[in-house]
Amino acid sequence: MNRFTLRSTPEIVVLTVLLALSLLGLAFIDMLVAPPKLLFGRALSALAPSLFPSIVFTLLAALCAVILFLLNWQGGHENEGGLTHGEWRRGIVFFGIMTLYALTMQPFGFLISSAVATALLSWQMGNRSWLQAVVLSLVGPALLYLAATRLLAVSLPELNVIELAYARILGG
Amino acid sequence: MLDQFIEGFGMAMRLDTFMMMSFGLFGGMLVGALPGFTTLMAMAILLPISFFLDPIVGIPFLLGIYKGGIFGGSIPAILISMPGTGAAVATSRDGYKLTQQGKSRKALDMALFASVLGDTSSDIFTILMIFPIAFLVMQFGPPELFAVLLLSLVIIAATSGSSPLKSLVMMMLGLWLSFIGTDPLGGVERFTFGLFDLKSGIPLLPMLIGVFAIPEIANVVMRNEKAKHLSSLMGKRLSKAEFRRCFRTICRSTVIGTAIGIVPGLGQVVAAMMGYSAAKNASDHPETFGEGELEGVAAAEAANNAVNGPTMVPLLTLGIPGDNVTAILLGAFVAQGLRPGPQLFEEQGATVFAILVAMVFANLLFLVIGYLSIPFFSRLVTIKVSILIPVVIMFAFAGAYVFRSDSVDLLMLVVFGIFGIVVRVAKFDVMPMVMGFILGPPMEYAFGQTVAMTNGNAFGFFFGERWGALSILLAIPVIGILLWRRMRAIPTG
Repeated sequence: MNRFTLRSTPEIVVLTVLLALSLLGLAFIDMLVAPPKLLFGRALSALAPSLFPSIVFTLLAALCAVILFLLNWQGGHENEGGLTHGEWRRGIVFFGIMTLYALTMQPFGFLISSAVATALLSWQMGNRSWLQAVVLSLVGPALLYLAATRLLAVSLPELNVIELAYARILGG
Repeated sequence: MLDQFIEGFGMAMRLDTFMMMSFGLFGGMLVGALPGFTTLMAMAILLPISFFLDPIVGIPFLLGIYKGGIFGGSIPAILISMPGTGAAVATSRDGYKLTQQGKSRKALDMALFASVLGDTSSDIFTILMIFPIAFLVMQFGPPELFAVLLLSLVIIAATSGSSPLKSLVMMMLGLWLSFIGTDPLGGVERFTFGLFDLKSGIPLLPMLIGVFAIPEIANVVMRNEKAKHLSSLMGKRLSKAEFRRCFRTICRSTVIGTAIGIVPGLGQVVAAMMGYSAAKNASDHPETFGEGELEGVAAAEAANNAVNGPTMVPLLTLGIPGDNVTAILLGAFVAQGLRPGPQLFEEQGATVFAILVAMVFANLLFLVIGYLSIPFFSRLVTIKVSILIPVVIMFAFAGAYVFRSDSVDLLMLVVFGIFGIVVRVAKFDVMPMVMGFILGPPMEYAFGQTVAMTNGNAFGFFFGERWGALSILLAIPVIGILLWRRMRAIPTG
């Protein structure tokens, strides 16, 4: 006989969060979606801007509720394939480096932030050769910077002093 | 028309045309292969070069970049699970698994051959049927576009992942994410929470890189797969028997891609997913799709390349670009003095046929250049992970930044990376989410246009006048249920 039990697997947590978000979205849709623009009392667009979001939130809530019910009713697999403490630690360090990279690229420029990030990631991946790490973190970003800015003519954030130095070196 | 075709054929047989096409093909492949950089970027930047060339040289040059870029985009999708475009998402599902199984070269070979076959077949079809196709294009309006997009979403949800219900959940999430920003119809803000950076919505490229590539890289990092030689991942080349096994799939996907290419606004993403879903549905062993099935790569690549030929028809005959890339081509045509529209064939028919013939020959050049380049690209997987991963992350961040020159996109990349890890652990498939995100806005826009056309009476409009659209809408639940049963849905995944 099936018993309705509450379990806490990643699947159930994600579905619960999505269910809560969709219900909150439906409840506060008027605050989250601006009212339609009016011209002489008539809406400028044929569809209300909240129509499709409302439909999506309703369907999302219903689907999450159904799956949660079925998951708990049928019972079944425990939390399999989870991560160990070491894996969690490495993941946190990895995303920490990525976050640092994202936050430092604009203020410190592409070259410096990339040099730091590539060196840290290379070290985390087990590279203990200082020479390799230095070459990778200095040459790689420089080559990519030149290729992007000179060949593809796209801009990457960079400190003024470094951009001026490149301009002088390349005669630009 | 035959006279114009013969004259155009003669015009296309120029050494400088072939040289510039080759240059464009290789350049497009190189840019497309750079994780995070897009063909659209390369085309936009090199567009001015085409102004100084003869039309029969400049436009094939741009087409070479376009074709090379499509294949180039599938290279990082296969080797490091980093699709640079929505069309490469379907390729990465099986392509990356094949790389993990030590068959990266087979995957790249299959992507190349399927791309060339699909593209060449659809180009020849376009040349032969250009006028009937133009007639069909004119029959498609917003109601039909809405119906086909909705059908695409249902098919994707029914055939993705292990559970259609969970796929639908992810699709709804993707649709919601697509609503963030400005409403495409009325221009009002939705779900921006007062943040200026969200007014233009969530950018596609950081999301793609974040949900596909970052979790794979993070998986390698977290499981502490230290520096090791990965030469075993290259594997052998594609065999003739393997290609023959996938030939029917390639033909099916070519037909699908060609049909979808006729409709302005659908594009390569829909074609790739529909081709992939059709192949999975028709297979005797659908459970192998997503686990390293060569047919999966063949289906996606053939379909998304078969779009190229027919996409030119609304552009040439009606002046309607089907996507961003054809919009750039439209700019090139206008700059070269070609006026796309119904009168184009009367005034400059030979030039138009010359361009179409050049497209066919571009595929043959593409086959040679691609075949010679694959060993170079496939060796990328032999690089030590302690060097490869930092370099890939650097490319990913650079690519995410240049997309909009906005540093907030980098944070979005990280956030979606974390999200990708979480849903991966929770056993959800992110592909339906990405498809919902990409197809949501055009679907909403098409429905809005339909309602505007009917002064609010869309229901009566579908039943009264647009039988084609109505037929598709009525078929959606039937097709969805049939596919669901075929995939043997299990709600608990």
